[in-house]
Formats: sequence, structure tokens, C-alpha cells
Amino acid sequence: MSAAPLHHTGVGAAELLLAAAAIAAALLYAWGADRVRRRGDAWPWHRDAAFTVGAGALAYASTAALPGGPFTAHMGRHLVVGMAAPLLLVLARPLTLAFRALRPGRARRALLRLAHSRPAAWLAFPPAAALLDVGGLWLLYRTPLLAAVQHHPTAHTLLQLHVLAAGVLFAFAVCGLDPVRRRWGPVWRGATLLAAGAAHAVLAKSLYTAPPPGAAVTAADLQTGAQLMYYGGDLVELALAAVIALQWYAATGRDRARRHRRAALPTAPGPGRSPA
Amino acid sequence: MRPGRSLAACALIGAAVMAAIDEIVFHQILRWHHFVDRSTSAAGLVSDGLLHTAELLALVAGFVWYADLHRRRALSPAHARAGLLLGLGGFQLFDGLVDHKLLRLHQIRYGVDLLPYDLAWNGAGLALLATGTVLAFRARRLRDRRGRP
Repeated sequence: MSAAPLHHTGVGAAELLLAAAAIAAALLYAWGADRVRRRGDAWPWHRDAAFTVGAGALAYASTAALPGGPFTAHMGRHLVVGMAAPLLLVLARPLTLAFRALRPGRARRALLRLAHSRPAAWLAFPPAAALLDVGGLWLLYRTPLLAAVQHHPTAHTLLQLHVLAAGVLFAFAVCGLDPVRRRWGPVWRGATLLAAGAAHAVLAKSLYTAPPPGAAVTAADLQTGAQLMYYGGDLVELALAAVIALQWYAATGRDRARRHRRAALPTAPGPGRSPA
Repeated sequence: MRPGRSLAACALIGAAVMAAIDEIVFHQILRWHHFVDRSTSAAGLVSDGLLHTAELLALVAGFVWYADLHRRRALSPAHARAGLLLGLGGFQLFDGLVDHKLLRLHQIRYGVDLLPYDLAWNGAGLALLATGTVLAFRARRLRDRRGRP
């Protein structure tokens, strides 16, 4: 095979910078949450915990040497940088916190304009986010892209950043927790999760038998890495599904409570249905 | 009471639980199943990926649906039990016939005479499905006797 062997990519300046940025983001988040709480607003602690763990995992995965062969370690890094850490960061509702923590002014107005802009709405449309995320993975593993970026540190860094950004965008669109121009219902988000999860599973199974073009990977390393991708993806998909399902549970509970209150009023304006 | 929904929610849970048992016991612990067979067609892989993800989502959706019925006091326990068995058996039989035989994604075990394994797998699925059907009819009779609420 005249392919370039996939090797452990060393920790360069870019990786250290990414780790430093993740830690800085965690500190910024803690500062914002503190500001909101000092004002007397409630901001649950589990959100701080999610953001801190997510940022910590991101910093760790981008700098530490992960266990396993080169391909398995590469896949483990992608799982953390592209799926697990983004989910944790999104669960912390960073955009909501930013709107609450920023004082009215130029920065807050600019952020609001950005969040409510049309391009942001297109990106946060769940199928579009899924296409950018899983489509990018298919390009990476089913074209010679992976082998090509191995020897270009800049391209490699850009790729890591794309994996992170696309992962955050996908989790953001599927969870639908932060306020953007348009919110999509559980059916859109669930169907997107189904399609993206299926594409992820098919890619993982195809990697088990055929390595990315141009990358020399030992069979054992390839198979371990492919299974890590498959089952690791499952865990994150389960968590994303749980987020959508619990939102639905809470929303239907609120709706029902509201209907009951209306029905209990002597001159109820609503239809006043009794429980099923 | 929502007997139909009680049955459907638990059938979803049952199918997903059997899929998880298959994945954990036969793929991971016994390592009888292959992760994927080289000869599997692209269509087979795609349907496998869709089904696998659908099972994950079904597990979550089933539990939340069940919790919602429970919260509304709309759960019919007899129908729920029947649904669980129907889901368990339904998935097993589907896996045995469609995944193993029709799509040929993987076989139960390799290097052995498959017939007894296939008979045991599909037979067990059929038995679960038959028990679920009997329970569903009994649940309906029970409800008719008590009078529809």
C-alpha cells in the first residue's frame, strides 16, 4: 500500500491554543453565571457543571495522547471534540447566559442581531446543521481528505475547528435550548437526529471494513476505531434523544396543568377539557 | 385509561430492549455476531443504520411516553405487559428473518450449523410474540368485562 501511515499527531501550538481557548471560555462562562446570580437571577448549577466538564474535555482531548492505535486515538478525539464536548457546552445554554449577563449596549445588540439573523437561522435549521456535521464526516473519511491533512498542520487545525464548530451547531440545532430566530418542534429535531444517527452508524460500519482512502491503518486499529465511533455515537445520540424527549415531557405537563387551571375557573374561556 | 397507547408505548420499549440485548449479549459479550459482514450490500448497511438509530430513539421515546401515561393515570398495566412482550418478540422475529436472512447483515454464529441457532432464535421470538398476543386478548376481555371507563 502506497498510502501515508496515519500517525499520532503531536501537540502543536494550535492544539495548545485550542485548549487555552476552551479554558478561557469556561472562565468567561463562570464569570457570566456569577454576574447573573449576584443580580438575584436563578441560574442552575448543573449548567455551570456541564460547561466546565465540556470545556475541560475539549482541552484534554485536544492536547493529551489518547489510548489505542493511531486511528482509534483519532476517533476518540473526534468523539470528544465533535460530539460529547459540544453536547455539554450546548446543554449549558451559553447564548442565553450571554444575553442575561451582558448589560444593554453595543455588544449585546450585536449578539442579538447575530442570533436573530437569517444566516444564523439557516445554520440552526436542524437538517442543515446535520448535513454540515455528518456530511463533513463523510467527506473526511470517504475521500482522501484525511490523508491529505495529515502533513499540513494548518489544514489539520482547521479540520479540528470544523469538527468542533459543526458538532456544536448540530447539538445546538437538535437540542433547541437557546433562543434563535426560529424554534423547531420535536418532530423536526427527532427526525434529523434519526437521519444523522443512521448516517453516522453507516459510516462507522463502512470504516470497519474499509479504511479512509489513502490512510494506512492496521486492521485491528481500524476495527477498534470503527466500533468506538459506532458505540460512542450511540451514547451521544441517546443523550440528544433524552434532551428532546424530556422537553416534550415537560411541555405537555405544562400544557395539561394550564388546561386544568382553565377548566377549574368558573367562567373558563377555553374548551375546559377533562383529563383523558 | 388509554389501552392502545399503553400497549404501543411498551411495545416500543420492548423492541428497543431486545435490540439492546442483541447488541450487548450477542455482539459484545459472546461475540457470536459479526459487527458487519464484508458481503453486506449498501442497502443492507443503510437499513441497518436506520434501524439501529430508530431503536435508540424508540427506547427514549417509549420510556417518556410510558412516564406520560403514568403521570396522567392513563396506563393500563395489562395492556402494557402485553405490549412489552409483543415488542420483544416482534423485534426478535424481525431481526431473525429480515436482518439475518433477507438482508444477510450477519448470522447468529459462524463456523457452525446455523439451523438449530436460527430455530432457537426465531422460535423464542415467536413464543414471545404468541404470549404477548394472548395477553393482549386477555387484557381486552378484562377491560370489556369491567366495562369501558
